[in-house]
Amino acid sequence: MKILVLNCGSSSIKYKLFEMESKEVVAQGGIEKIGMKGSFLKFTLSDGQKVMLEGEILEHRAGIEYILGVLLSEKYGCIKSLDEIHAVGHRVVHGGERFNASVLITDEVINMLNECIELAPLHNPPNLKGIYAIQELMPDTPQVGVFDTAFHQTMPDYAYMYGIPYSLYEKYGIRRYGFHGTSHRYVSRRACEFLGVPYEEQRIITAHIGNGGSVTAIKNGKSIDTSMGMTPVEGLIMGTRSGDVDPGVISYIMEKEHMGTKGISTLLNKFSGVLGISGISSDMREIQAGIDNGDKRAQLAMNTYNYRIRKYVGSYAAVLGGVDILVFTGGVGENQAITRTDVCKNMEFMGIELDEELNNSVRAKEVVISKPSSKVKVMIIPTDEELTIAKDTVEIFRQHH
Amino acid sequence: MIIEPIEKYGLTITAESKNKPLFSKIGVVGAGKEGRTIIIMTATAGMDVVFLDESEERVDFVMDELGKVMDQKISSWGLTPSEKKIIMNRITPTLVYEDFAGCDLVIECSRYSESGRRSTPVRKNIFKKLEEVLDTDAIIATNGSTIIISELAAELDHKERCVSLYFPVSHPDARILEISKGMYTSEEVYQEMEIFAKLINYKPHRINESNGNVSLRLLVIMLNEACQMLLERVSSLEDIEETLTIIYGQRFGVFRMADIVGIERLVTLMEAMFNDFGETHYKPNPLLWKLYRSNQLGVRTRKGFYIYDENGNPVSINKTVFN
Repeated sequence: MKILVLNCGSSSIKYKLFEMESKEVVAQGGIEKIGMKGSFLKFTLSDGQKVMLEGEILEHRAGIEYILGVLLSEKYGCIKSLDEIHAVGHRVVHGGERFNASVLITDEVINMLNECIELAPLHNPPNLKGIYAIQELMPDTPQVGVFDTAFHQTMPDYAYMYGIPYSLYEKYGIRRYGFHGTSHRYVSRRACEFLGVPYEEQRIITAHIGNGGSVTAIKNGKSIDTSMGMTPVEGLIMGTRSGDVDPGVISYIMEKEHMGTKGISTLLNKFSGVLGISGISSDMREIQAGIDNGDKRAQLAMNTYNYRIRKYVGSYAAVLGGVDILVFTGGVGENQAITRTDVCKNMEFMGIELDEELNNSVRAKEVVISKPSSKVKVMIIPTDEELTIAKDTVEIFRQHH
Repeated sequence: MIIEPIEKYGLTITAESKNKPLFSKIGVVGAGKEGRTIIIMTATAGMDVVFLDESEERVDFVMDELGKVMDQKISSWGLTPSEKKIIMNRITPTLVYEDFAGCDLVIECSRYSESGRRSTPVRKNIFKKLEEVLDTDAIIATNGSTIIISELAAELDHKERCVSLYFPVSHPDARILEISKGMYTSEEVYQEMEIFAKLINYKPHRINESNGNVSLRLLVIMLNEACQMLLERVSSLEDIEETLTIIYGQRFGVFRMADIVGIERLVTLMEAMFNDFGETHYKPNPLLWKLYRSNQLGVRTRKGFYIYDENGNPVSINKTVFN
């Protein structure tokens, strides 16, 4: 059974075609610069050869058509007919309060997704475009939507409410939703499988840290709190996003810098975080290079970044009433030992004992990095959001067929 | 890495059937302040923009100014340096009309002379030159608020493609595009301009060719009345402004607005309106003439009803106007 997973961004589409029996990725690639000059479709063949197809890709529909065309082609393809693709899974960023699990996409679901556009004006419209394109090009193929927010819908109300007038929640749905749900769900489950412990009986903290990042508290298999809020700016310090900021500071900056809503949003989303503090880059590898050269601001950015994660781990330990498993994932979480060290330092009081040597020697593979005596199992679990989407898609496909 | 063209991998798309997207390339004739605003707006919306100006020096100056405007946006956190780079890459200067070939739309933005007038023969000539190089379905537009489009179109072979646009200049959020249909403008062209407006994130308003459109016609009446009250010593300039900003919730008072639009532009327009309609309430108030004749034309000359600093921020009221 083959499942196509699509992740449609505002100007990009990433795709992976899975053979579900073997969980093997039979084709993968991506389109970039949709609607812009120099758009292209890039993919890697099974022998490692990279292929770049250049040409005008004006909108998502055309992009998806080319992806299907490549999959079908004699030269680079791996299927003979589109019927071989049993279902298509889409990553959908914002499901609002309406979706607490992955769903089969129907007209009703599409209507509901349209209603969620206001919550994620940048992300949901391209997701919908991808859905429409498949509807048109593969009308008989079922589609499944997998939401970034769904996993966090189990948060209790006192965790998702902001301390602002309740009427704003009623009027605009202003509350915390959380993101990266697919990743938090996958790595927490995978950690339990790896350790051979029951998922429904664990207190888990998952730290998905990459260019964007969030920390989630998972109790008995359910997300009970997460660091991102109504938008992905809340919580951790990220590559270019500020994370938590005193709301009073925001109106103060707007006044001092004569800034409008768009300006402040760009400031907090694109000029802040690690880039803003260091003045060097949003890429942690460049920050590390800066530190090696004795750059003080790079060091400050790193310290602030790590400290914020540590703060969330501590507070979620309180929320959970103790921790059994701490998982690091995402580009930085899987690869940057110093961040894991800083986060876990002096946490013996709550049962975290990191094996420093092991921590420094491993990256991007499933491994326990705490000492055998550590009450909390600290782990690295590389995330695989696409596979999770594919698995959900299969499950829902089976329910309906 | 293997590099190939993508077209042969389309299922229904082929190189032949591929429709050219509307407004992928547009042109601007004359890169004065308004022309530059249009260049930045359209390039930001992802269109390739060719602009024409009179000399190499002028072109360099314009490119420099465009860079400065974008640097200002960066320093006010409205844009990232990489976005600036992408936008600047979409902008191509030229000195010859031939480079407009292939444009879906060219906007004529020839500048106002010091007297506040734009030369109709010059503009007609521009329209003719554009018609020579453009496809027959390309739209030719002029940027302005006076009735001229029918006159500019009159001598062209394809008159139905001509339309007049007015981008309000009052403040950056004034995102309404007044689209004037002339005598000849076809409905199709009008509808395409509506699409254009939406692409650059403006709300289109349909105007049937009339001097001053809607926005300036309302403004000039208010301005004349406000000037008259000043002359009659009914109230002070500050208090009249506050009446508009506080009671009627306008962002700026009418005198400040006049300075932003430009006194020369308003006086010329009001004269044209007075000639057209014969209504005395369109006749420029003596205060406006006073400013006009003394070349105190508003923000642009740093003196009008107010005095401005080099960044265009008002420093004080211009007391010489009405004392």
